Amino acid sequence: MKNLLEFRNVKYFYQTKESEIEALSGISFSLDSQSFTSLVGPSGCGKTTILSLTAGLLTPSSGQILLEEKPISKNDDRIGYMFQRDHLFEWRTIWQNITLGLELQGLKKDEKKVALAEELLKKYDLYTFKNKKPRQLSGGMRQRVALIRTLVLEPALLLLDEPFSALDFQTRINVCDDVYSIIKSEQKTALLVTHDISEALSMSDKVVILSKRPATVKEEVLLSFEGDTPLHKREDARFGGFFEKIWRSLV
Amino acid sequence: MKNTPSYSKARAQYLKSQKKDLSLIWVGRITILVAFLGLWELLSYTGAIDPFFFSSPSRVATTIVTLAQEGNLWIHIWTSLYETIIGFIIATALGFLLAVALWCSEKLRKSIEPYLIILNSLPKIALGPMIILWVGSGSGATIVMCVLICIIITTISMLNAFISCDNDKILLMKSMHANKWQILTKLIIPNAIPDFISALKINVGMSWVGTIMGEYLSSKAGLGYLINYGSQILKLDIVMASIFLLCILATGMYLLVTPLERKYKK
Repeated sequence: MKNLLEFRNVKYFYQTKESEIEALSGISFSLDSQSFTSLVGPSGCGKTTILSLTAGLLTPSSGQILLEEKPISKNDDRIGYMFQRDHLFEWRTIWQNITLGLELQGLKKDEKKVALAEELLKKYDLYTFKNKKPRQLSGGMRQRVALIRTLVLEPALLLLDEPFSALDFQTRINVCDDVYSIIKSEQKTALLVTHDISEALSMSDKVVILSKRPATVKEEVLLSFEGDTPLHKREDARFGGFFEKIWRSLV
Repeated sequence: MKNTPSYSKARAQYLKSQKKDLSLIWVGRITILVAFLGLWELLSYTGAIDPFFFSSPSRVATTIVTLAQEGNLWIHIWTSLYETIIGFIIATALGFLLAVALWCSEKLRKSIEPYLIILNSLPKIALGPMIILWVGSGSGATIVMCVLICIIITTISMLNAFISCDNDKILLMKSMHANKWQILTKLIIPNAIPDFISALKINVGMSWVGTIMGEYLSSKAGLGYLINYGSQILKLDIVMASIFLLCILATGMYLLVTPLERKYKK
């Protein structure tokens, strides 16, 4: 399968008043097109820094980040970002939240994009809520809206920064299934940052394990569980074994 | 067909108790007012307190009626109201614009911050004599005093609201390629609307403080002038009547701001 994203020996240093801190020390890994990859690692190892670099919000100190074999740029519209919390704007309706990106990029009158936004809302059972305010939606529905807000811009790569961490366990399992099925049915490539090994295993085709700071890639684990949803994948007999393997690698 | 209630017995009971609680609160409020006015009138009537120094509700009412009949009352009310509203609008608008400018440039913000703190701590009344020299006495000086009192607090509260916006929301906007103007108009300002409404509510009170202070210093009309005049000629009825009218006007202005809050919460 073709590489969509490639990190080539990426280093990143950040500056504080006291000193220069090396966050990433020569990170190299790649993502296949339409694959789901998770980044796991100790807290503070630089997982979110990797996402920020990919999104062009930060610039690598050295090394290269290639998307579809071209270096990423600062305002790269091939990349969509989903944050820890849904960050829906409470003063906007669901429709206004979903079309925020289109508005910012001057595409609000683009009939194709508007039709896509409507289609996604209908497809994922949110159309009847289009004129409601975010506070009238459940946690799971809010996350779906946040994902659709990103998908409307038709990114080639989706960056997911612990998007389920603010949800309770039961909602989290359901939202995982929802988000996974939306990403798969829209044929997107996703890079998920999580501290939850089960979540990483149940959603991914590959798990990249990072070392503590300064982060390096410790190991890449390829997965092929039975089941078409994260919940079903958890029932695979090999799930526990992989969990154990990643857990040991992390500690 | 007869309409039947669509809620359960427990719901009906809950709604009834809510209604009862609200009624009791109103009864309490009215009782406090009636008891206060009644006690004041009684103490004054029996001579337990000297009506010359403490006036009484009936004397306040008579004074208001007399002032109204003389035709002066409306001039004083209108002068104070006009000065307060103009001062309130100018201070709110300038304070808001200053906060926007300071949000736009971190360097400018850090340079100006110590001066804002100094100006906020300074009792503005100390500037009174200079304001009179610069602007002259009358409404101009009162409006300037009103603006000075409100502008710094508006700037500080709006700036705090702007810079406390969740950084992840700003990153989200940036990830969708928003420029600084779009971040300001589509995130920072709408996100700060609750704080803006709070600033408006504070400014209602503060602008009245400014107006009264300005009128104390130099004016020939207004409720502040009337209070000053009443105390100088030892007519405490005029002072009390002016304070009573001030209470009504300030509350009225506050009530005009509160629908904004309700509209925003919808």
